[in-house]
Amino acid sequence: MNVAMLTEILTSGVAFAIPLLLAAGGESVSERAGVLNLSMEGMMLTGAFAGVFASVTTGSAVLGAAAGVLAGLIFGLAQALLSVRLRADQIVVGVAANALALGLTTFGARVLLDGGKGQGVPAFADIRIPVLSELPVVGPAIFGQTALGYVCLAVIAALAVVFSRRTMPGIRIDAVGEDAVSAGWTGLAVNRIRVLGVLIASAAGGLAGAQLALSEVRSFSENMTAGMGYLAVVAVIAGRWKITGILWAALFFGVARALQFALPAVGVHIPYAVLVMLPYLIAIVAVSGFVGSRNAPSCLTVPYVGRV
Amino acid sequence: MTTLHIRHPLAVALLALAASALTGLALAAAAGADPATVVDALVEGTLGSPFAVGTSLNNAALLMLVAAGFTVAYRAGLVNVGGEGQICLGGIAATAVGVSLPDDLPLPIGLTLTLLAAVLAGAGWAAVAAWLKIRRGTSEIITTLLLNFVGLALVVLMVQEPSLLRQPMTSSETLPQSERLADSAHLPLLGLPRNPATIAVVLAVLAVLAVGIVLRHSTVGLRLRSVGLSATAAARFGVPVDRTAFLGLAAAGGFSGLAGGLLVASTPFVLAEGFSSGFGFSGLVVGLLARGSMTAVIGVSVLFGFLVSGGINLQLAAGVPASTVTVVQSVLIILIAGAAWWTSTAKPANRSARADHQLAGDEAGDEGLDSGAVVRKPADDETEEVRA
Repeated sequence: MNVAMLTEILTSGVAFAIPLLLAAGGESVSERAGVLNLSMEGMMLTGAFAGVFASVTTGSAVLGAAAGVLAGLIFGLAQALLSVRLRADQIVVGVAANALALGLTTFGARVLLDGGKGQGVPAFADIRIPVLSELPVVGPAIFGQTALGYVCLAVIAALAVVFSRRTMPGIRIDAVGEDAVSAGWTGLAVNRIRVLGVLIASAAGGLAGAQLALSEVRSFSENMTAGMGYLAVVAVIAGRWKITGILWAALFFGVARALQFALPAVGVHIPYAVLVMLPYLIAIVAVSGFVGSRNAPSCLTVPYVGRV
Repeated sequence: MTTLHIRHPLAVALLALAASALTGLALAAAAGADPATVVDALVEGTLGSPFAVGTSLNNAALLMLVAAGFTVAYRAGLVNVGGEGQICLGGIAATAVGVSLPDDLPLPIGLTLTLLAAVLAGAGWAAVAAWLKIRRGTSEIITTLLLNFVGLALVVLMVQEPSLLRQPMTSSETLPQSERLADSAHLPLLGLPRNPATIAVVLAVLAVLAVGIVLRHSTVGLRLRSVGLSATAAARFGVPVDRTAFLGLAAAGGFSGLAGGLLVASTPFVLAEGFSSGFGFSGLVVGLLARGSMTAVIGVSVLFGFLVSGGINLQLAAGVPASTVTVVQSVLIILIAGAAWWTSTAKPANRSARADHQLAGDEAGDEGLDSGAVVRKPADDETEEVRA
């Protein structure tokens, strides 16, 4: 294991971690407000599909990314209507919404994107920041993103600052998620805040999907997120609903994923399937080991009826 | 009371079914197929030949098993999202046993061993989630969901590694799949002319009926329900809450595992990547739609079983992507879940009558509180309970 190897693992680990972290960051806002979006997987997949489709149709990757966010928001509106307004079971709706997104994007890819593949998709090019990207190991990993990648990093930072536990928006979402009834009595519009939380999660999910499709893979394939959205939800739980915890969890999953490709290259023979299941095994341990449900927002998945 | 009100759960389910069917037709139209072709392809793929009917019934059998298991766990308040992973583990275990059996073993013994292995493996896989739930308080929804991904990857591992279950590699074109199961582990056909329906259909119907009877008329069923309704109250009454919940989820895994075993014990009698093909998810849908009624489990499973084979023919004959079926199913769940609040608040009078009935059945036991005659307000019930 030399420096070049290490750099490569970290670079591809960070590349995987950025969409994951962005999705998890958005999801944490929604969860702290009391709404669980198991449908993050579907939001990312929808964002990826809309991103590639719009990018192919308009020939502009920027419009593609915008379409990804927009598609995520539309998805989020439907999710918010069901989870918040209609008080449907959030877990059931989430699992079903993922299946719906998988079915629709697969359908769309077959019908709209020639045989499921979008070849020659206008995508984002890498922008290497001078000097900083020359730094050993971390330089190429962090300062060699595409323009969209830097946008993602900025959004993650913005989410972390705006919804920290010391700002008004942060305190409000925590209030709504910890004790919705009391929050309602103090005059907070509980359900409106929750809808906003879901919309933030879905926009982040859509952007994360677009990042995955337009900066990393540069095409769309059926079920291309392959469980990444679920990992984002797990990262929120493993990170105990704190942005630093979520950051470490996302990086951890990213590096575990990068090892899938790096280990065989170094000559360590581990069957591919073992490496595929590794992040999920780690996730199970993380969810059960480090964390109980103690830190979870008290009103997570509990709908708010109104003042009682 | 027996009239089918618009907000009656059955009416809501039928409306949702109609709406999702329309969605499917709209998608098919978007893919360039006219409704007549679509209906033709669906009928051809489901009822057009004995082969199609048999395939649909086999699908329905698998869905029934997964849905019956889902219902058992759901009674104890646990949501088993892990059907897919449990099917995978059941399939792996059944293959491991099935390929090592001698061909001339009597069929009842060979088949029993194979399917027993499948049940145990499925139950064991769910038991991991159940154990984490009880010991560490981890949400079983998250763990069973994650275990699906692990189970799917395990199947890939099994069929790709020659030292595990991969068939001996004779050339570079040897497919990554297991050897054929021994003849003594092959599921017999029902014997209908040119019909591939296996005894899995009979097995599944029997299993569903057994689950229905156990849930409704046995101590175990009552315990499961009490844990699901209120674990604290159940504990006060001396119900072993942890053990009951554990058994509930493990049983769900056992049923899904059996479905996996039945899959590999039918044509082409091999384990291959992706053999579980979404039955775990569809079974969950059936379980949710059936709302605990075993009659509904059978009915919805048959409907979905036909829908799945219809969807495959839709792709072959009408050029509509088979993923349309997934869309129809998920729209159906979303509509039903979204209408749940609307459905249950529909008729306040009826609802409190039902609550009365439950209270009478559960708390008052044989004291003979007549529930149907007088509809009281819930508040009255509470005071009455306090007095009792």
